Amino acid sequence: MRLRAHRVTALWMAATAIVFVLFLSACGSKDSGAGDTAKSSAPTDASPNAKDAGGSRPIEVVWWHAMSGPLGKAVDALVEEFNKTHSDIQVKAVYQGSYDEELTKLKSALGTKNAPTLVQVYEIGSRFMIDSGAVEPIQTWIDKDGFDASDFEENILGYYTFDGKLYSMPFNTSNPILYYNKNMFREAGLDPEKPPQTFEELREAAKKLTKNGKHGASFAIYGWFMEQFFANQGALLVNNGNGRDGLATESLLNGEAGVKTLTWWKGMIDDGSMLNLGRKTSDTQQAFGSGQVAMTLDSTAALRGIVSGVGDKFEVGTGFLPRPADAKDGGVIVGGASLWMLKDKPEEEKRAAWEFIKFVVSPKMQALWHVNTGYFPVTKKAYDEPNVKENMEKFPQFKTAVDQLHATKLNRATQGAVMGVFPEARQITERAMEEALGGKKSIQEALDQASKEITEKIQQYNRSIGK
Amino acid sequence: MLSSEAVRPEAGRPEAKRDVGRHRLPIRRGEAWTALLFLLPSLVIFTVFLFYPFFSSIYLSLHLTDPRGRVVEYVGTDNYIRILTDPYFLGSLKTTGLFALYTVPTTIVLALIAAFLSRQVRRGQAGIRFVYALPMAVSVGTGAVIWGLLFNPSVGLLNAGLHALGLGPVFWLSDPKWALFSVSLMTVWLNFGFAYIVLVGGMEAIPEELYESARLDGAGLWSLFRFIVLPLLSPHLFFLLVVSVIGALQAFGQIHLLTQGGPMNATNVYVYNLYLEAFRDYRFGTGSAMALVLFALVLVLTLAQFRVLEKRVHYQ
Amino acid sequence: MRANNSQDRNDRVGLIVALSLFVLALFVLFPLLYTVATSLMSAEEMLSGRPHLIPERPTLANYAKALEAAPLVRFVENSAIVSVAVTVGQLITASLAAYAFAFLRFPGRNLLFFVYLSTMMIPWEVAIIPNYLTVVRLEWLDTYQGLIVPFLANAFGVFLLRQAFLQIPKDVLDAAKIDGASHFWTYARIALPTARPAIATLGVYTFLVTWNMYLWPLIITSDEKMRTVQIGVGMLQFQEFSEWNVVLAGIVIVLLPSLAVLIFGLRSLIGGLTAGALKG
Repeated sequence: MRLRAHRVTALWMAATAIVFVLFLSACGSKDSGAGDTAKSSAPTDASPNAKDAGGSRPIEVVWWHAMSGPLGKAVDALVEEFNKTHSDIQVKAVYQGSYDEELTKLKSALGTKNAPTLVQVYEIGSRFMIDSGAVEPIQTWIDKDGFDASDFEENILGYYTFDGKLYSMPFNTSNPILYYNKNMFREAGLDPEKPPQTFEELREAAKKLTKNGKHGASFAIYGWFMEQFFANQGALLVNNGNGRDGLATESLLNGEAGVKTLTWWKGMIDDGSMLNLGRKTSDTQQAFGSGQVAMTLDSTAALRGIVSGVGDKFEVGTGFLPRPADAKDGGVIVGGASLWMLKDKPEEEKRAAWEFIKFVVSPKMQALWHVNTGYFPVTKKAYDEPNVKENMEKFPQFKTAVDQLHATKLNRATQGAVMGVFPEARQITERAMEEALGGKKSIQEALDQASKEITEKIQQYNRSIGK
Repeated sequence: MLSSEAVRPEAGRPEAKRDVGRHRLPIRRGEAWTALLFLLPSLVIFTVFLFYPFFSSIYLSLHLTDPRGRVVEYVGTDNYIRILTDPYFLGSLKTTGLFALYTVPTTIVLALIAAFLSRQVRRGQAGIRFVYALPMAVSVGTGAVIWGLLFNPSVGLLNAGLHALGLGPVFWLSDPKWALFSVSLMTVWLNFGFAYIVLVGGMEAIPEELYESARLDGAGLWSLFRFIVLPLLSPHLFFLLVVSVIGALQAFGQIHLLTQGGPMNATNVYVYNLYLEAFRDYRFGTGSAMALVLFALVLVLTLAQFRVLEKRVHYQ
Repeated sequence: MRANNSQDRNDRVGLIVALSLFVLALFVLFPLLYTVATSLMSAEEMLSGRPHLIPERPTLANYAKALEAAPLVRFVENSAIVSVAVTVGQLITASLAAYAFAFLRFPGRNLLFFVYLSTMMIPWEVAIIPNYLTVVRLEWLDTYQGLIVPFLANAFGVFLLRQAFLQIPKDVLDAAKIDGASHFWTYARIALPTARPAIATLGVYTFLVTWNMYLWPLIITSDEKMRTVQIGVGMLQFQEFSEWNVVLAGIVIVLLPSLAVLIFGLRSLIGGLTAGALKG
């Protein structure tokens, strides 16, 4: 039995040749790039030597963070600037993976000498940090030093303030905003300068925008959005003042605000004006960026990425997070992360860390941080810096984000919920959202079930910390 | 017709003695010491980095731990009872079973086809093998990024391809009906390289004369496959099956990166569930209990495979 | 020779074979072609709303960005050091243990072999925390030994090499015995050379697996200088917004060394498993 070998071989040669060419082209580019890294790493190597010339050994402050890529670069820029201007302190910034991975590492390092002095923890890890008993409230140092925080954004400080004490220093802060495609708005006969503000308006707009295979909107099934919709309706997510008047013991996820939000959301999915792309915001970002959907929700921190990814394909507009027309006072909760100081460290190291924190939140550095990353500046004074003004001109959409932050009235709802099992609660919420939006369970049923489960987890947690 | 009996390769290969050493001298003290010396390096590593963690998980599984992972109190079998009565835990067991069912046979069958057919090609063998072995060079992490983009509903090429064929968009990862399928598809791709290498290796061990004599007998591709390749490849297939089942039960990376167990827990496989319990929620007690239950399951399943299937394996 | 219709049939079969091979190759290659192609596109092109494979305006900008975002070259070095060390170490420990299991008589041999095999079934995620604490106690964080030592033994290797050793003809071993050779001599001069194909297989396999490790290097390294390549890919993905084209460029860079190993090691990879894995 002889096979026609030639034909097969020819196909094979072709396939292999393609691979080979691609392979070579990739090799070439690798070489050209390698030189760049060598160059860029040179100055960092030189800097410690410069420090040694200053005399006594500088105090080292290790700072763990979860910022990679351009954000990591921005972190490095801050640290470099600090080390250059402070000869007695040497801050070492260490990237530790995603927030989750970083927190896992922190948990196993607590109580050992490998624990850092300063650590960036996402907002939903706040309750754990307090309960760990391993942190030193930043307020201690604010009081000790007589530090003036009056120009700080109270809406940002609010999240990290417990019992009137600021526990950690907000570092990277974002909110969710509505992004919309102005060109599609025009084509649909909608006013491109007037984004929908209420649930009802958004639903109307989504209906008009849905045609020719395009969809009016797509929101990621992201627990954070649900939390925001609660706050935006002035509703609490957990009891005991969102866990701020006392340890939370019960989830309130199945309250009216949740049902209302999901009824609205599901209505749009059912009539085809909302595209359900699952949990990932990266998927909705791409759908929006490629013009498949006219509106989406995303973090303010994604603004620069979205606007530059879109380029001049269309005009990107931004609006406030929508709320029901009859909603009570509400607003958005700050998301992101803050800097925590660990208390089992020598006093001088903590003082050094505090110096660094003060440096980071100074208007000038906040301006730099904001411009490089798109996170909010913590201090209002940063908006007077020329580079911030310039950036505002380049990304006028950012004004919406700032306005929305300032329009928020601080109360227990908008301060945001805290609980020790927040990451898990968020995932349970996401599952309930999927079940409700996908029609597997009724909205009330899905939320009841999730709420019951979260309550159980909260109580289990409380028991494990002896309360 | 050919029978499997007729094709046993008695000639041309040194007879493999499976009982080498077994019928030798009785145990001698000196030899035991030598054995210890030979085993020491691996034994030390295993003890420190596998046995010790294993026993500490047994200890942890009987305790309640606090959010920093420290033991709070002894709770007996509470953790086991808690997980075994948790509907989501039981759901994750079922999902894992389905995942293994979708991925293991598919990978093995596809790799078998590729290995068998690629042997029929006379020229360009090296290139063919390289292409089929490629996924072996890809890690779960990078594989998940690549497939994540392929699956992407708006910029992904899979839906673009379907659209070109006039088919509606499929929400690969966000539709609970599709998610497990999609993750499995990616897994099949990822494991294909290894399976192919194992099988093509087994294929090479089959002496050329057997093919030749079968061809002279006028055997077609199918009978060649059915009566020569399949029986002679059975040790490799068995090995692949055992290793793949263990791998499928321990799948984690692709789920973590592609679906996070969703939508609606449709892809919430065992180890992902375990990972969340231990590393996100830091409940080491229940996390350890889950790990031990998994260990027991894998052990039982592997032993069962040896019991049931190994008899059918055709060792040379 | 054969009649015409037989020739036709062979043609048809040949076509089917070619077609099946082609479809399977497409399945295997497509994701990788896509990766390379997309890494050459700008973000705007990728988001153009018309997904396509061939870049319209190919650019290497993503590669420059990827190399700038993470010191990938340094990571490649680290991964190479770790992978080579783990591979060599595993070959030594596995071949020694395999020799003992294959040829030495000692009490509890079968039980111990079973215990070894069962380590393959311990999910590695479980061992991570205790191992992390062990490495902390040893002060091995951010060191090569921390990345290497825990992986120096693997039951899979012991298993594979034991099977290969058992294929060694009995008379060869007996002759050595009669000559009064020590076990170490037999191990080094007979067992190892004879099992060379299986050792090569294990070597290539171990190298690739180690190269692709993610969770452990991430957990035990904090210093960027000690990070490995897979983490480099992770570092290209961000919390809020990822530039996917840059991520794919990073992936291509990280894939190159493993592809090279695969090209050069494929022969041994296939050969070794041929040498008689799993008989006995």
